[in-house]
Amino acid sequence: MAKTYDYLFKLLLIGDSGVGKTCILFRFSEDAFNTTFISTIGIDFKIRTIDLDGKKIKLQIWDTAGQERFRTITTAYYRGAMGIMLVYDITNEKSFENIKNWIRNIEENASADVEKMLLGNKCELEEKRQVSKERGEQLAIEYGIKFIETSAKASIRVEEAFYTLARDIKAKMEKKLVSKLYTPRGGHQLKASELQKKPTSWLSRCTIL
Amino acid sequence: MEDCVEDCEEIFSQDGVLLKQAPASHITFVNTIGTLYLSESLNSNKKRFIEWKPNDITVDSDIQDQEWAVVNTIQKRTRTLSGNYPADYQNRIKCIKFNFEEIKSFRVANKSRQISFYDGKADCLCIFGFQHGNSDTLLAILKRMLRISVSKRDKHLYIVYDANFPEFQQLDKSFAELNIQRDSRTLWSVFRNLKDHPYEATFEAFAKVTDYVYRSPEQRDIDDVDKENLNRSISEYENTTTHSQGDYEVVAKVPERKDFPRLRPLSVEQWKGHLNSEGKIEDVESVKTLIFRGGVTPCLRSEVWKFLLDYFPWSSTEADRQKLLATKSDEYYNMKLQWKRMTKVQEDNFSDYRERKSLIEKDVNRTDRTLDFYAGDNNANLQTLNDILMTYIMYNFDLGYVQGMSDLLSPILMLLESEVDSFWCFVGFMNKVIRNFDIDQAGMKDQLSNLHTLLAFVNPQLANYLDTHDSGNMFFCFRWLLVWFKRELSQEDVMRFWEVLWTGYPCENFHLLVCVAILETEKQNIIQNNFGFTEILKHINDLNGKLDMAVMLNKAEGIFYQIKESDHLSDNVRLILGMPLLQTQTSYGSHEQSPFEDSTELSNSTQPCCSVDNVRISPDEVAYERSINSSFL
Ligand SMILES: Nc1nc2c(ncn2[C@@H]2O[C@H](COP(=O)(O)OP(=O)(O)OP(=O)(O)O)[C@@H](O)[C@H]2O)c(=O)[nH]1
Ligand SMILES: [Mg+2]
Repeated sequence: MAKTYDYLFKLLLIGDSGVGKTCILFRFSEDAFNTTFISTIGIDFKIRTIDLDGKKIKLQIWDTAGQERFRTITTAYYRGAMGIMLVYDITNEKSFENIKNWIRNIEENASADVEKMLLGNKCELEEKRQVSKERGEQLAIEYGIKFIETSAKASIRVEEAFYTLARDIKAKMEKKLVSKLYTPRGGHQLKASELQKKPTSWLSRCTIL
Repeated sequence: MEDCVEDCEEIFSQDGVLLKQAPASHITFVNTIGTLYLSESLNSNKKRFIEWKPNDITVDSDIQDQEWAVVNTIQKRTRTLSGNYPADYQNRIKCIKFNFEEIKSFRVANKSRQISFYDGKADCLCIFGFQHGNSDTLLAILKRMLRISVSKRDKHLYIVYDANFPEFQQLDKSFAELNIQRDSRTLWSVFRNLKDHPYEATFEAFAKVTDYVYRSPEQRDIDDVDKENLNRSISEYENTTTHSQGDYEVVAKVPERKDFPRLRPLSVEQWKGHLNSEGKIEDVESVKTLIFRGGVTPCLRSEVWKFLLDYFPWSSTEADRQKLLATKSDEYYNMKLQWKRMTKVQEDNFSDYRERKSLIEKDVNRTDRTLDFYAGDNNANLQTLNDILMTYIMYNFDLGYVQGMSDLLSPILMLLESEVDSFWCFVGFMNKVIRNFDIDQAGMKDQLSNLHTLLAFVNPQLANYLDTHDSGNMFFCFRWLLVWFKRELSQEDVMRFWEVLWTGYPCENFHLLVCVAILETEKQNIIQNNFGFTEILKHINDLNGKLDMAVMLNKAEGIFYQIKESDHLSDNVRLILGMPLLQTQTSYGSHEQSPFEDSTELSNSTQPCCSVDNVRISPDEVAYERSINSSFL
């Protein structure tokens, strides 16, 4: 009676309206692209289970509405997110400039040690490009996060983006588990909430090692 | 106890379950953590089992979020067994497994974090402690699979009925004869649902059974006490709702819900009959009532909607309307020219405008593209949709464009086809829902909060459940409210739904009662499956395309009259529905807690708790309870 998964990760897609968050998610969960899509009102999520180094990882990916006005509602769902994809549209300068606002938004509403990743979407539209790849890379370096250019439409590097984020979360989590294992007080149970809500406590325990 | 070799299908599993008490054969595993399984045999006998296995890997899920789990890979100390044992001995000895038929009763304790199973023979089969979460889900499943009833002496003790018990065979037979429900599981759900769905069809089924109980000649005599019980229980279920407030219960009378069948839509003849020689509507109230009851017949819509959306005044004559059309057309094109004439430089220097323009463009491309009317590239109707929304920016600078507005315009344009008429009708609709688009979303928050208040009044159990499952903010209804169910219904249904709501009958904020009606319909699903924050959202989002608009309206109207006729109707409910307030200041609920206030403290303290842990139940007692309950039924 095998469990259907070993880990469950909650991920979040954020970014301006129209950058392609829903399409990215649809590409990843359904491997399809649909031009007749509708804008997202409120929030929804999709599930896909992936294999990573012999572990089954269930990804619960939340898709939010991009318009600024709905942020008071959508940020309520940031809680508990372990990874966040920040998405902009390479053909839309404004969506790139707004990434810094989204980062601030994360700082205010998500847990401090959430894994982040920057995605420049619609990268197949080279002729309409407004944001160079270098600028994307530069911004990612500034924030110390990874960066990938994707296309939901042409199915470019969408899989890679989610696998990368999932792998980073897994690595981070396992590191914490190990540090926990060698602490005198560490029983055989580890509360997810401890990991998430008290990042300082595991850090301080790490120093015992 | 049986061994583990049989092939089983897992129905449910719960990790982090501590074995607290076990038969002597398994005493070494007491105080070990493992996984509890509920499984069904793949053999034809379809036997069901409760099974527990000690874990080598323990999976821990966050108690609060239940959204992700961490696997701890620390190995358990392996217990070495010496001597010659069969190959599968290790597995067999490790696992505890018992057949459903062995369970005669079970008891939940310690705030649902412990469950004890009894075999009816003086001893208990096992006691399990839940390290994470609680036994609620397991309990819900057991309730579905077993015929049980709550002991009258101890509300945490569940008595399992024996299929071979004579009274039960009889009852089953009676159901079969009445052709109500053949399968025993559904039969039992009928009884269980009774408590939560007193007004629904289940009640009818129960009534039939009581008929049978009384009339069937071969039925053995029921003594008077039981008859009394039977009658009392029916009348109790008939017209009371129970407001659970911690350890004591307040029973408030809510009148019986009435049925309001939908009528035929307003017909051309009816409409013509209401117009006088000047084309003025004589009896506005009666027209609105007809529309509220049945909507408008499709060919009449393009005319009637202009009234409903305040483009044409209800008191206007045909001549007035002709004049109005001319001026409104000028006004529209004047505004349209304003943005059409914007130069490139002007646009470059006006970032707000640019942003709005690009938002509209993106949304127009994503509005109802699956409908023929808006399908395909370079569709002229998309251009019209775009132009109307752009002109609306000029009409209402303060608001501009907010996502959701294209959804509200789409059915109007599709119906009227005329750009000018659609614009003004859209303006009328926007005036009704303008607060949905407040910059700080205050209007939406108010509505969600009002929805919670109404739900708490109509169905306190469900409101309480949502509060204690992180969903008291009602955010999962956001989409329903923002665009008035546009995303949940087909275009035809949404047109009918909107025209009914536009009448403003039978009260203010009737759409919130529609939400209450749907939530109430989904209550069983939500509570019995023990849905949390995540599952509730998913469940509600997935209702899209599955809602029956006529049933919703019917039920919502029933709820309205039920509220209206309640004698404990408080001012906060009156205010939401636009009813006259009470003169006196003695409202019932002193402080309705807003879902935006932190409710965790409150809900925790009101959780009923039970600390009596080790209650021994003698087999006689169980048998006694069983017989009482079966004859009671
Ligand atoms: N060319 C191209 N178009 C894309 C791509 N991804 C999305 N789009 C288009 O961009 C538009 C917006 O995509 P969505 O996925 O709906 O955008 P979103 O970020 O979810 O927007 P909101 O739900 O409003 O926040 C749609 O018209 C898509 O067809 C892409 O990789 N390439
Ligand atoms: Mg979207």
